Amino acid sequence: MDQKIAIKVDDLTVAYNYKPVLWDIDLEIPEGVLMAIVGPNGAGKSTLIKSILGILKPIAGSVSIYGKPYEKQRQLVAYVPQKGSVDWDFPTTALDVVMMGTYGSLGWIKRPGQKQKKAALEALEKVGMLPFKNRQISQLSGGQQQRIFLARALVQNASIYFMDEPFQGVDATTEIAIINILKELRKAGKTVIVVHHDLQTVPEYFDWVTFLNVKKIATGPVKDIFNDDNLTKTYGINYKVSIQE
Amino acid sequence: MLLQAYIINNKVMSNAQIEIQIIASIAAIACAIPGTFLVLRKMAMISDAISHSILPGIVIGFFITQDLNSPLLILLAAVTGIITVILVEYIQKTGLVKEDTAIGLVFPALFSMGVIMIAKNANDVHLDVDAVLLGELAFAPFDRLVVSNIDLGPKSLWVIGSILILSIGLLFAFFKELKVSTFDTGLAASLGFSPAILHYGLMSISSVTTVGAFDAVGAILVVALMIAPAATAYLLTNNLKRMLLYAVGFGVFSAISGYWVAHWLDASIAGSITTMLGIIFLLVYLFAPNKGIIAVLYREKQQRTEVSLLTFLLHLKNHTEERERNVNHLNEHINWQKVRSKTVLDLAFKNNMIVIKNKIVSLTDKGDAFTTKAIDYIITNKDTQIEYMKDDFFLFRG
Ligand SMILES: Nc1ncnc2c1ncn2[C@@H]1O[C@H](COP(=O)(O)OP(=O)(O)OP(=O)(O)O)[C@@H](O)[C@H]1O
Ligand SMILES: [Mg+2]
Repeated sequence: MDQKIAIKVDDLTVAYNYKPVLWDIDLEIPEGVLMAIVGPNGAGKSTLIKSILGILKPIAGSVSIYGKPYEKQRQLVAYVPQKGSVDWDFPTTALDVVMMGTYGSLGWIKRPGQKQKKAALEALEKVGMLPFKNRQISQLSGGQQQRIFLARALVQNASIYFMDEPFQGVDATTEIAIINILKELRKAGKTVIVVHHDLQTVPEYFDWVTFLNVKKIATGPVKDIFNDDNLTKTYGINYKVSIQE
Repeated sequence: MLLQAYIINNKVMSNAQIEIQIIASIAAIACAIPGTFLVLRKMAMISDAISHSILPGIVIGFFITQDLNSPLLILLAAVTGIITVILVEYIQKTGLVKEDTAIGLVFPALFSMGVIMIAKNANDVHLDVDAVLLGELAFAPFDRLVVSNIDLGPKSLWVIGSILILSIGLLFAFFKELKVSTFDTGLAASLGFSPAILHYGLMSISSVTTVGAFDAVGAILVVALMIAPAATAYLLTNNLKRMLLYAVGFGVFSAISGYWVAHWLDASIAGSITTMLGIIFLLVYLFAPNKGIIAVLYREKQQRTEVSLLTFLLHLKNHTEERERNVNHLNEHINWQKVRSKTVLDLAFKNNMIVIKNKIVSLTDKGDAFTTKAIDYIITNKDTQIEYMKDDFFLFRG
């Protein structure tokens, strides 16, 4: 199988206040995979995503999206941040937040119109949040907020999706709804990268996985590399997940 | 003769009166625009810092131009404003102190530099700290812009008017960019709207507005006009555009009403406007329909009653034995105080949820349907549906 490389990370080192939290990361993510990034708290998972997205400047190394730097490929990428990184009391409604996903394609100064609104409403429908479109976002439950952010990413109509812990604090129904949407995206040929904490569900949800703890431990198809050895290397303790096949 | 003088005098006064109100209103609008974003970014303190630390910029500008209204002065002051912001952020980034501490370190330092410069060099020049800091709206109409003998109106009106036009232009052009970067910096960055550019753009326009407004209205009123209307508007709406409009409205209303309060009480105009801003904030804080204190307390009380009602109905549904449903024994069984159980009983009764026969309470069909539905929603974790359901069932609310 000869797949295009969607994301390529070369020798990436990132530091906050001169303390490296990602060390010399090399990574190639093929197009069309649904990939989990796993690793303990503070492993640098969020940092990795933020550096790929140019939100953080690395001290060394480079990132390319389909062979070009991120700045040239913004349109291709959508991002759902880890919960709590936005101002929940901001005077804005669910619909408005989803509309923000269309801003990237508009560029500077141009304002959203009917077309953008329609796209936003469709995305809300897809995640089952249409009845809540006029709610102020702090008046939504955690799982509902997560769905809104998923809708915002969908409306970006990207080729590559990054999601930082989309299952954090959501119930089983919402989790299944979200994973089904992600699987649909993969079916449509999109690349989806998800920071994920529940190791039990990795084999069921994902087809590709990256183990990360400051350094990259391993990356590849779940069926080849999702094993106790890599888990132990990543989490430091003697890890045993019994994967029932 | 006397009458004529009186009329002329009065006419001059009323022209000046109108001009003062226009200047104050325009300053209020100009301040409300950046102020709204400062409040949303939780940067209210920084406007205070800017308003003081731009003093050295003004002083240096004044030494160069010898003119308090020169555009260079505004430019230099704005630059000092930006330097303030950069210094604050730099100190904060060291991780040794929090933001408010950093602000507290930077602005007194810059401010005192300005004061020392004035004391050292400006003894014989018309420039004193009071004039710069307090400003005096009452005098604003007397400093006029005269070009080849034509009186074009008060200078400060031109200054603050141009700044207002500039910030309205920027607001229209970059509204969505400011919105997204204020709400979610990460998204803004990943969409290609540099949060740094927007941040410093906002800081620049805040500094320019501060400088432009405070020659006319004084530093204290500038800060009040930036923060208070926006903070008030914030309590009233979930829509950013409306928040901006309300902030502008409150600013202008306070400016004009404050002016007249000052006129009647023969008090300081800036002081009266600031007082009006405070009073309006307080009123909204108490009475705002959703976020106001009274509304919150009322809602909590209503929710308590509704929860009690639901508990009560559930109790009735779960207990077929009559002794559990006797009016006199309900208190013991559900363990409520008398008053509460009476409210709940009344509410249930008024809404036809229960009937009382021989002191025995039973659910009506409607009450039964309501309870069944509520249990269902609670178990399936669809609490939000209960809200709609309540609207369907309740005629009278608790
Ligand atoms: N803004 C920051 N300033 C300084 N250090 C930071 C900052 N953000 C993160 N760090 C540090 O960088 C390291 C990696 O953080 P990161 O958020 O990438 O971890 P993570 O793998 O996403 O963790 P989690 O599973 O808890 O989300 C942590 O040690 C964290 O303390
Ligand atoms: Mg994280």
